[in-house]
Amino acid sequence: MNLQSPIESLDIVLDEELQFSSEPLYATPRLKINETDFEITIEGVAKFGVKNGRTVSVLPHQDADEASVQLFLNGSVLGALLHQRGVLPLHGSSFVLNGKGIIICGCSGVGKSSVTAAFCKRGASFINDDITPVVAEESGITKIIPIKTQIKLWNDTLKAFGIEEDGLSRIRPSLKKYYLPWEKYNGFQRLNKIIILRTYEKRHYEAEELKGMAKYNALRRNIYRKLYLRGMPETARNIFKHLLKIAEDIDVIVVSRPKISDINATMEFILKQL
Amino acid sequence: MAKVVWLVSYPKSGNTWFRMFLANYTSDSLTPLALGDIKETPISSNAEEFEEETGLNPFELTPEEVDLYRADCYRSQATRVADQLLYKKTHDAYSMNSMGTPVFPADISYGAVYFVRNPMDVCVSYANHGATEIEHIVKLMINEDASIAGKRAGQLRQMLFSWEGHYRSWHTQTEIPLHTVRYEDMINNPVETFGSIVRFLNLEFDLSRLKRAISNSDFDVLKKFEKEQGFKERMQNCDNFFWKGKIGNYRNFLNKEQTDRLVSNFSALMSELGYIDKKGMLTI
Repeated sequence: MNLQSPIESLDIVLDEELQFSSEPLYATPRLKINETDFEITIEGVAKFGVKNGRTVSVLPHQDADEASVQLFLNGSVLGALLHQRGVLPLHGSSFVLNGKGIIICGCSGVGKSSVTAAFCKRGASFINDDITPVVAEESGITKIIPIKTQIKLWNDTLKAFGIEEDGLSRIRPSLKKYYLPWEKYNGFQRLNKIIILRTYEKRHYEAEELKGMAKYNALRRNIYRKLYLRGMPETARNIFKHLLKIAEDIDVIVVSRPKISDINATMEFILKQL
Repeated sequence: MAKVVWLVSYPKSGNTWFRMFLANYTSDSLTPLALGDIKETPISSNAEEFEEETGLNPFELTPEEVDLYRADCYRSQATRVADQLLYKKTHDAYSMNSMGTPVFPADISYGAVYFVRNPMDVCVSYANHGATEIEHIVKLMINEDASIAGKRAGQLRQMLFSWEGHYRSWHTQTEIPLHTVRYEDMINNPVETFGSIVRFLNLEFDLSRLKRAISNSDFDVLKKFEKEQGFKERMQNCDNFFWKGKIGNYRNFLNKEQTDRLVSNFSALMSELGYIDKKGMLTI
């Protein structure tokens, strides 16, 4: 397997028996976590270990395909790497529009990638898909760290954009979700606004700007793999402090969209909030 | 650590109504609680909770893979809640994952309350709920391998089986203690029926509180609240979650062929539950 990570200064060790050398502070049958060690088992795919934010060990399942191993390496495992490095990962896709850095946050399946792709088709510059690391600088400015060069999109979304599936790679052989390559964003972009996208059963769109603790709590809910912090109390403290700074610096707007809605209509509504 | 009470039903069988009763009963509210207070009994197929507990995006797993993690997901949730009952609504049939392990783990379960309703009334209510053709729901209800959700967003896949298969799956398992109530008895004998659940759950039994909670969660109250405040469990294309709620409403919507098809598929269980009498006549 030729596994790739978007993170620099990282060793990927393949086919080695994993060693969780210290005591986990949080453990389930498939997860072991403390400040410096992380282990996750993805059934039928691989067992991954992450140490000190510098080494990832991968023990693929005997029947695993490379695409699936790669997918989780650049998803849940990447989340652990960022937490170990003390970098705050938000569960969101990001782009630059008219010089402003925007993150679309929200739970899986809410349409973060589709909306981001819609903005980028309209001329926005793509930064990240699904996971967006951010850093609050001493100056009080928050910046987005670009790490991704692909957007994951389902076949029907590609079709809505008039993009052929031929030639695109599936994220896993069993799923009709594809990687759409995009040019890498160079440099760090200032973050200006976070849109938290949610769905509901109403038939119209709504937007609400969050303030104070509501803003902080919403950001906290959108930390990528917040679960890992259950075993990383020191990291959690730093991240929550970091989050307070970010909350002071940026605007956060919750956009509720009908569950059944058009991607472009969602994009147009969000555009009005930017 | 909490113990989980599974509030189990085929869709549109009184589960949500009971959850409103429960919210009113446990809070001992003097006035009816708002529909928003039902949130304390989230559905077991909530994808966000799954991701929060497993660290995995369920839509990048197959439904079969998701089922491998569900039992541990519920264990993790139960572990993090103080020593109390944790209520979880579910529409899943009782089933095993591909490793032969039950999706619903007995070791953290207090028990399950099973709500069952005349399948013809389920059919028309379900069709209204999803703004779906009745014929589509008839086919779904007799399909022994039926499932809902688990696509690209929304909820996790839930195996329903057929309407009868769903009931049998929970009533043949012996791991989790089960208490079954009929929707029709919740309407006709509410004090006795809701009271039997309160006793099964070993909650403090108080007759006046019970009667008040029944009155506060009366169907017409819920319907009025939905009109005034909306209800998040209503489907986008459905006008009302709380629609008719009546017994025998199917007679206004199912044609004879559809009724016959449901009865011929489910006659054994319908007889057991009293929906067909000894002469083979429909009782509702």
